[in-house]
Amino acid sequence: MFEPVFMRLALIASVATGASLGIIGVYLAFRRVVFLGLVLANAATVGAAVAEVFDWSPEITSTVAAVAVALGLGLVQRPRRVSSESVMGWAYAAASSAPVLILAAVAAPDADTLHMLFGNLLAVSSSHTVGLVIVAVVIGLAHVLFSRRFLLVTFDAEAAQVAGVNARLWSLGLNLLVGVAAAAAVHEIGALLTFSLLTLPAMTALLVTASVRATFAVAVVLGALLPCLGLATSFYLDLPAGPASVALLSISVLAAAALGSSSSSG
Amino acid sequence: MAHSRPILTGRELSIGYHHRAVFEDVSFDVHRGEILGIVGPNGSGKTTLLRTILGLLKPLRGQVERDAGLAISYVPQRDRIDTILPVTALEVVLMGRAARAGALQRVHDADRDAGLRALALLGAEPLNRQLFRNLSGGQQQRVLLARALAADHTDLLVLDEPTAGMDAASEASTLEFLRDLNRNPGVTMLIVTHMLPIVLNLATSIMLLGSRTVLHGTVDDVLREERLSELYGVPVHLGIVAGQRTLVVGRRNAIDV
Repeated sequence: MFEPVFMRLALIASVATGASLGIIGVYLAFRRVVFLGLVLANAATVGAAVAEVFDWSPEITSTVAAVAVALGLGLVQRPRRVSSESVMGWAYAAASSAPVLILAAVAAPDADTLHMLFGNLLAVSSSHTVGLVIVAVVIGLAHVLFSRRFLLVTFDAEAAQVAGVNARLWSLGLNLLVGVAAAAAVHEIGALLTFSLLTLPAMTALLVTASVRATFAVAVVLGALLPCLGLATSFYLDLPAGPASVALLSISVLAAAALGSSSSSG
Repeated sequence: MAHSRPILTGRELSIGYHHRAVFEDVSFDVHRGEILGIVGPNGSGKTTLLRTILGLLKPLRGQVERDAGLAISYVPQRDRIDTILPVTALEVVLMGRAARAGALQRVHDADRDAGLRALALLGAEPLNRQLFRNLSGGQQQRVLLARALAADHTDLLVLDEPTAGMDAASEASTLEFLRDLNRNPGVTMLIVTHMLPIVLNLATSIMLLGSRTVLHGTVDDVLREERLSELYGVPVHLGIVAGQRTLVVGRRNAIDV
């Protein structure tokens, strides 16, 4: 099954992307901002659409767009009359409609453009695969080195700030990682699978674990493993790879919920 | 009380949100060894004042000055903590040390020992392996207090509703513990609470917040029956029971004063 080069590249890309998004997703779940992942995935798509219009580098433009939105949402104070979720909803709606409008106004999207915008794991190139592995290594390193700081400002940002930690800077740093991870992933696997990998492995892990370390470990393993199973499923059953992976990730959440409820009632 | 140079000073502060002042022209000093109680009815602006003192909220005017290198530990209200993180009581306590350490510093045995000692001081050492979210409200409050004490050095301990959720016995032992901590090693404290009885016997000075007014002075000067009755809108009586100051709201003959 993994003999063709494109399948091997897809395997490496899905493991790297799933593992890095698994780590980031746990932080998003702990901070109760899972929709930030969706917003940034769509912001990266807006960047790719702008790059298509101006013939810029889609990788750089989409990363700049996602990082700018990540930092903007971290810096701008939300109005007191609306919740953070509402701001995320607004950003998601705006970022979802923008690529369609941009391309409809100034370009006629062909199949390559749509792949570039919405991703296709089976079409990932070797250079892009290397890029995804580098992003995964950077995120893994940042997690290993700074997880204590990230968790400190996640658990109680105000107490950390009073003790001398620049909580806002660390929160922005975390947002920056989310932006980079989402931009790198959405370009290759699309917004749906990117959002699913940011959300579902962490959700499953939280349902079946009782420690921070185990939550990260389970999320990384599921994020790396289930998209590979999705690839295999798509290969043997002739199904689209992205939705097959999302389906498996969704089933894992249901299984974890069932496991959690049976263990708590037992 | 004989006072040295203040370790924390507020000068002509105008405090509030979005250019709307809750208080104006507030000045105060906090001296080493003092226990300052900040009290007032719900909605009087205690949290706003606290956030300004802690540097979490910029004053609209005036400034808060701290001694250089003043080490502050903050114990928030436990219900402000999101319990989604599956962290144990000891891991929470260790965050008090991590906040003062370098970003790359790992947890060492000495840190764990200090964390366990801090829990033991509050009688919470047996809870160290339990998940913080599974603890009762009073137990969580004690763990948050232990987190503040786990740091190597604290000059000023700031507590927001420190006995919230505690039963009577836990509340009494926690207040006694705070009193001991103030005597030796002489930790200065700032306690915010809506529970007047807590500060009546603990605080050495009081800031009483009313409708856009702040009174600052000794407990006896500030907490007067007529003033409290007017502020709270109900009859408030002060008296002594078993050698302790006590407070009764309502009929005067409800307690023998």
